[in-house]
Amino acid sequence: MSGQDYAYDLLKKFLQISTVSLPMETKLEQILHSISEAFQPDQCLLLRPDQVNPNGLFLRVVSEKKALCIEDGASFDKEKIFPDEERFLCPAFICLPMADGEHFQGILYLGFSKHRHFLSEEVGLLLLLAKGIGELLRNEILHAEADQTIAKLTALHTQLSTLCELNKTLLTTVHFERILGMILTATTHGDGLGFNRAMLFMVDEKRRVLKGTIAVGPDNAEEAGRIWKALSHKGGSPSVVIPQIESPPESVSQLDLLVKGIEIPLEQEQCILVKTVLEGRPLNIRTSQSDEGWFRTGREGHCSLSSGVGCYEGRLLSRDPKSYAFATVPLWGKGRIIGVILVDNLFNQNTIKDEDIQFLSMFANQAGLAIENALLYRNLQEAHHELKEAQSLIIHNEKMAALGELSNTIAHEIKNPLTAIGGFARRLDRTTLSESPEKRYTETIIQEVAKLERVLNDFNHYTHEHSMIYDSQDLSRILEASLSSVTDEFSKGKIQLVKEYGEGIPKVLGDPHQLKHAFHNLIKNACESMVHKGTLSLRLYPFSKNGASYVRLEVKDTGKGIDPESLPNIFNPFYSTKKSSLGLGLPIVHKIVISHQGQIEVDNHPGEGVTFIITFPAFEGVAAQGQS
Amino acid sequence: MKRILVVDDEENIRFLFKEELEEEGFLVELASSGEEALERLSLFRPDLITLDIKMPGMNGIEVLKRIRELERNLPIVLCSAYGDYKQDFTTWASDAYVVKSADLTELKSTIRKFLERR
Repeated sequence: MSGQDYAYDLLKKFLQISTVSLPMETKLEQILHSISEAFQPDQCLLLRPDQVNPNGLFLRVVSEKKALCIEDGASFDKEKIFPDEERFLCPAFICLPMADGEHFQGILYLGFSKHRHFLSEEVGLLLLLAKGIGELLRNEILHAEADQTIAKLTALHTQLSTLCELNKTLLTTVHFERILGMILTATTHGDGLGFNRAMLFMVDEKRRVLKGTIAVGPDNAEEAGRIWKALSHKGGSPSVVIPQIESPPESVSQLDLLVKGIEIPLEQEQCILVKTVLEGRPLNIRTSQSDEGWFRTGREGHCSLSSGVGCYEGRLLSRDPKSYAFATVPLWGKGRIIGVILVDNLFNQNTIKDEDIQFLSMFANQAGLAIENALLYRNLQEAHHELKEAQSLIIHNEKMAALGELSNTIAHEIKNPLTAIGGFARRLDRTTLSESPEKRYTETIIQEVAKLERVLNDFNHYTHEHSMIYDSQDLSRILEASLSSVTDEFSKGKIQLVKEYGEGIPKVLGDPHQLKHAFHNLIKNACESMVHKGTLSLRLYPFSKNGASYVRLEVKDTGKGIDPESLPNIFNPFYSTKKSSLGLGLPIVHKIVISHQGQIEVDNHPGEGVTFIITFPAFEGVAAQGQS
Repeated sequence: MKRILVVDDEENIRFLFKEELEEEGFLVELASSGEEALERLSLFRPDLITLDIKMPGMNGIEVLKRIRELERNLPIVLCSAYGDYKQDFTTWASDAYVVKSADLTELKSTIRKFLERR
């Protein structure tokens, strides 16, 4: 075989092998095999860079990328090489650098058991082959690196698209509770972040506590299995699936109830949750076998969240706090931390990896903003609601003002003729014999005029904002004065009056006319409810509560009571069950009592009677004066 | 016999008051406006005046002021359809404030209170 031919064959084989898609190992084996066939060495080796000591035998090969040809191995100076390199000292050997420009990929070594002369063409060919192998290896490395990068990118892409899906989900609503539910569902959903359980705690700035808000997760392993199975049947991307998941009815999740009951003061710096808020970074608590470090968990019966002494809020989160592994991430709102998400894998005991936490943190950033938005929206809604209420109040007030103006004019026009009619009827009545049929006529006129006068007075009173003159008042005197205006009922013997005035009744700050009007209305109302016979009881007594003193008036009748359906409306103006009334009597009482910082309560017993209980704050100081 | 001047723009109210108060034993003179009341004052020399507030022309509050300038101690009972003016400090110059009603008991007792005191 001529020199040219074997060189041609060898190069051809090398090219064939290097271009076939085979595992690298096989390729190298085949190449070495071909080289062995052509040169018939006793050893044909590929030395990886880590098998090559650059300072010994291979010094020049490595540093100068030149071939080392030794035709007489015995003449080689052993002083220059390392002991473990002696195995390479064959009678004849050749070392060739597998180098591709800068990158050194190792050495091609051929050893012969007999002295041998290396032709320059042979050396050239072997150099060429070594270089080729070097390039092949280099390619392989680049390939592997590319594959790794692609894998990383793919993983990142998956994460990002999940994140994107979850964000899409969060954008479907601004409803606060729903957002919270979705965030935790996304955190526990298999296509989302896939944790077993997730809990959310919100920072309450006013009360300086971290409050358990919502939790998602099965109560036990059995339920966990059932849910995961059900979820895997649903299919579809998270943005499709998660909004479909209805939040479970209130009482279903024990975990949710448990978490909702958790409240940790922000001063509990040892608590992992608080720490997450204060430090603003995720914490991954694997397990805590040691008592060392900045946190300590798992003393028997203690808190899973290592809250330290005096706080065991987290003790129920796992059966064995010692081995409880969990992670927390802060929820960022706009420039502040608004809460914490806690996740664990209690049921499948999967380790929480730092990548998981990183991913969760990314999600938490979005979630925090979504919560913040929902909160803002909620505040906006509340403000809107308040504005609406204020608006309707203004409209109501304007209506009342217009009504007042109109009524004032009409009432004045009616009042004078009514006074004349009633006045003359009374004059007629006095001169009419009680047996005569005319007596009934005059009495009817008098009664009806009296009713009309009351209606007009009530109306006038309700629609006028009276400027009140507040002064220290003795309620028993005002009560007596208002009683004198309804003496008719008592004198006829129809109604029995029982009065009970307590001792040492403090004075109250008030307007005597207003108070008299209120009492009058209550008494009149009570009398009217007792159609045939009855007892009106008036109790006036002092009492104190939380160190403050009050005066209380009870007006009790034995009438038919108030129909429970009407009860919520009795203080609403123009709501009346009586035919002859505008329904302003009790609203006036209410208005007057409220304007006196008082309270009014109703103790209603249909069929037995009703008691109105009015409480006024005592006017301190003046009460003492009154006693002296 | 005690003399009462009734000032009211409503004829029927004047009529009613006259009848009722005369029955109580008073001598009653009527005036249908503030101006008329001021005219009658020196001639009739009443012991007490009942004065309506809402009247065309000079209203009761003005009349009250003018009478007070002349007669410091003459009892004046303001008599209005409603209690609207009760808290108005300009009515404080009067001696009493009675809300008009078909039942004249309150008015009569108020009048008697002042006239018996004298």
